[in-house]
Amino acid sequence: MYRYDEFDHQLVSERVKQFRGQVERRVSGELSEDAFKPLRLMNGVYLQLHAYMLRVAIPYGTLSSKQLRMQAHIARKYDRGYGHFTTRQNIQFNWPALDKIPDLLEELATVEMHAIQTSGNCIRNVTSDQYAAAIDGEVEDPRIISEIIRQWSTFHPEFTYLPRKFKIAVTGHDNDRAAIKLHDIGIVIKQNELGDVGYEIHVGGGQGRTPFIAKKMADFVPKAQLLAYLEAVMRVYNMLGRRDNSYKARIKIMVHETGEVEMRRLIEAEFAKIDASQMLAVPPAEIDRISAYFASPEFETLPASSDVLEAAKTQDADFARWVRANVVAHKQDGYAIVNISLKPIGGVPGDASDVQMEAVADLAERYSFDEIRVTHEQNLVLPHIRLDDLKTVYDALHAHDLATANLGLISDTIACPGLDYCNLANARSIPLAQEISERFADLDRQYDIGELKIKISGCINACGHHHVGHIGILGVDKKGTEFYQISLGGSADENASIGKITGRAFTEETIVDAIETVVTTYTDMREGSERFIDTYRRVGLDPFKERLYAE
Amino acid sequence: MPNKYQLMREGALCQDEWIYSDEATALSEAPTIISLSRLKAEADDLRARNAKLGVQLLADGNGKTQLGEDVQELEPYLDMLSLVSIAFPTYRNGRGFSAARVLREQFNFDGEIRASGEVLHDQWAMMRRCGITAFELAPTVRLETFTEAMSELSDAYQPAADDQRGALWQRHK
Amino acid sequence: MAQHSSKGARFQAVTANRLSDGEVVYLTPDNQWAETFAAADISDGPEAGDALLARALPADFELHVLEPYLFEVLQDASHFKPASVREIIRAAGPTVRLDLGKQDDAKRES
Repeated sequence: MYRYDEFDHQLVSERVKQFRGQVERRVSGELSEDAFKPLRLMNGVYLQLHAYMLRVAIPYGTLSSKQLRMQAHIARKYDRGYGHFTTRQNIQFNWPALDKIPDLLEELATVEMHAIQTSGNCIRNVTSDQYAAAIDGEVEDPRIISEIIRQWSTFHPEFTYLPRKFKIAVTGHDNDRAAIKLHDIGIVIKQNELGDVGYEIHVGGGQGRTPFIAKKMADFVPKAQLLAYLEAVMRVYNMLGRRDNSYKARIKIMVHETGEVEMRRLIEAEFAKIDASQMLAVPPAEIDRISAYFASPEFETLPASSDVLEAAKTQDADFARWVRANVVAHKQDGYAIVNISLKPIGGVPGDASDVQMEAVADLAERYSFDEIRVTHEQNLVLPHIRLDDLKTVYDALHAHDLATANLGLISDTIACPGLDYCNLANARSIPLAQEISERFADLDRQYDIGELKIKISGCINACGHHHVGHIGILGVDKKGTEFYQISLGGSADENASIGKITGRAFTEETIVDAIETVVTTYTDMREGSERFIDTYRRVGLDPFKERLYAE
Repeated sequence: MPNKYQLMREGALCQDEWIYSDEATALSEAPTIISLSRLKAEADDLRARNAKLGVQLLADGNGKTQLGEDVQELEPYLDMLSLVSIAFPTYRNGRGFSAARVLREQFNFDGEIRASGEVLHDQWAMMRRCGITAFELAPTVRLETFTEAMSELSDAYQPAADDQRGALWQRHK
Repeated sequence: MAQHSSKGARFQAVTANRLSDGEVVYLTPDNQWAETFAAADISDGPEAGDALLARALPADFELHVLEPYLFEVLQDASHFKPASVREIIRAAGPTVRLDLGKQDDAKRES
C-alpha cells in the first residue's frame, strides 16, 4: 500500500500545525465560530449531539496493522474505547475534545493518516472496491488512480469552497462494490479493444433528499487525461453549480437541471481547454512509482484446495457456515478473502472496540500481508488469507465476537449513527438495526432468506444509504415521535436502482413486524434461487404493498 | 462604493489607487473599477479613455440560481483592462477561485486580480495559488498574520495559476 | 439542523455544547454552564424564555459554548424533563450505549 514520501509527510504535518493554530485562535476568541467552522470541518471535526466527532480518512478503505493499532490507541487515549466504520470507508470517533484534537492529529500523522477533507464543501475521501488486488477479473487495481486522485484533490486551491461536498468512487471490476453510480463522480476502469486502460466517467449520482443514479459523461478517457477530465468536471460544477439553496447544490441537481447533453458539452468544452495545456498529465514515472506500492504481495505457490480447511469444516459446523457466508474466492490459488462482520446479533453496526481493532491488526499482520480493508457496508476485510490459515483466523475472530456469519444477509444491516449520536437526525436508527438483527437472529433462517441488504437512515440525508437498500428504512419525525418509512428494490451495485416507498410509515412498535411481512412476502413468492432483489424485480412493489397494508 | 478595507498587494499593505465607480458617474482619470454591465454598455467610449480601467465580477446575481457573472464574458474586453476585482459575497462562495484561474491560465491576463468581499485568513494562500495578487482585507488584519498565512502550506500536490508544479510532477524533476 | 422548534412551548431551558470538549451543558440560574439537566434554569412563558436565551448570549459567549438554543421542557408532577426525544437523548447519552455519556456519570455518582 501507499507509503508517504517527504512531500506527503510535510503536507500533513504542516496541516496539523495550521489546524493547531486555528484551534488556538478559536479558543482565544480571535476567530469567531462562524469563521472557524469551515476550517474545523475541513479537518474532519463535526459537532454532534453529545460531543465533537472526528472523522479520520482511510483512503480507499485500505490500512495497515500499524494504522489500525493507532485507531485503537486513539480510541483509548482520546475517546471512549471504540470507533465507528462508516459508509465511506472512513472511521469516526464520537467523543474527542477539541483542544486535544491537534495532539490526536499529530499522532495520526506518525502513521501516515489524517482527517483532511473528511468534511466540508470540498472533495472528500476517494472510495473504492474492498476486494481490490484480491478478486479475480479486475482490470486494474483501482487504488492506484484512487491515490492519484487523492493527491490531486488534497488542498486543491480552486475546489475548496465548492457549492457542496463532493464524493468520488472508483471500481476496476464488473461487479461494482464501490457504488460508483451513487457518487458525484464514479469511475469505472476498463480496457478498449486495443487493450489500453481508460476510464468510463459517470457524474451526478447521489442519495440524500433527492437520490439520483449518475449519468455516463465519458465512455473512455485515456489514462493520461484523467486528471484533466476531472478538473473540467470540478470547474464546471464550481462555476455553475447552484449556491442559492444548500439542498439543491450537489452536482446531481446540476446534471438533472442542466440536462445530460448540455452537461456533457460544458464538461467537454472545459476539458479541451485544460487538456491543451497538458499540465495535468501525470508523468509515467509517477504512475509507476505509485503503482509499485500496490504490487501484488508475494503469494506462495499453493494448491487450489486445502485439506486443513476441509477437515476443519467437517469438524466445526459453525466454522463451515462462516466460510460459506463470509469467505470469498481469491484470484490466487490457495488464498481467500475474509469478510469480518461488524454486525454481531444485537450489536451496533460498524462499531469496533479498541480490543477488537487490535485483534484484527494482529491477524492482518500475521496472516494477511499486513493489510485490512474497510467496506462501505461498515464491515472489514482481510484480503489475502491462506486457506490453511482460515480456521486459525476464524478462531481468533470468534474469540472477539467478530465472526458473525452474516455477510450480505438480513442482519448485516447498514445503519447511520442516527438520533443516538447525530445532530441532523430525526429518528434513531441503531436500535432498529438491533431489533431486526434479534428478530432474525437464527442464522439458518438468515441463510434461507439469502442475500438481503437492509439500510437504515435516521434522516433524509441518507448517510445510511437507505435509497439503495433492498429494503431501505428512513426514520422520520412526526410531531416528536419516531416513525419509519420503508422503501424496496434499491441497489448500489452495477445494476443501481433507487428504492420505491411502500406507503405509510410504521411506528417503532410495528416496524419490525413490517419487515417480517416483507420478508415473508418474498419467501412465499420466490422462484428457484431468486434473491430478494430478483423476486422484487420480477413481481414489483404491489404484492409487498398489499401485504404490508392489508387491513 | 465606499471602500472599508486595506489593500494587500504582492505581500505588502499599500494605498489603493483604484476607486470603484457606480453605473452613472462620469469617470475621471483615476484608475477606476466599474461593473461588467457598464463595461459592456460603454466599451467603445471606454476604449478612447486614456486611463486605467478595471471591472468587478459579481458572484451572485439577481436570478434564483445566483450564478452571477461568467468570467468568459470578460474575454472581449481584456485588452482594455488592467484589473479584475472578483467578488466573494460570502467566504462560502468559491466561484471566484475558478474565475481567477481561467483569467490567468486560459486568457493569460497579467493585470491585477484582486479578491473583494468576505475573504478569510485561511483562504488567502489558496487565492494566491489561483492567481489572485491583491486582497481587500478588513482594516484589522495585521501584515504578519497575512505573511504567516501565506507560508503555512509550503508545497502543493497539483498545479494551479502560480508557479508550483505540484508534487505529482515535482517528484520526477 | 434538526433542532426541534420550541414554538408554543411554555417551559423552556437553554442548552449548548461546551467549546473545549463538546460536552452538552445547560444554563443555570446563576448563568453558569452545568453538565446536568437537573441544574438547568427553567423559564415559564415566551418572554421569560427570550430573557433566558439572552442571558446565554453575552458578548463573549463563544469563548465558552457553541450555539446556545432554547428547547421545550415538560412539567411532570414535581420535576421537569425535556420534551423531545432528541433532548432526552442529549441529556442522557446514546440509548444504545448506556455505559456512555451523562447517564453513566449519574450511575457512577449514585
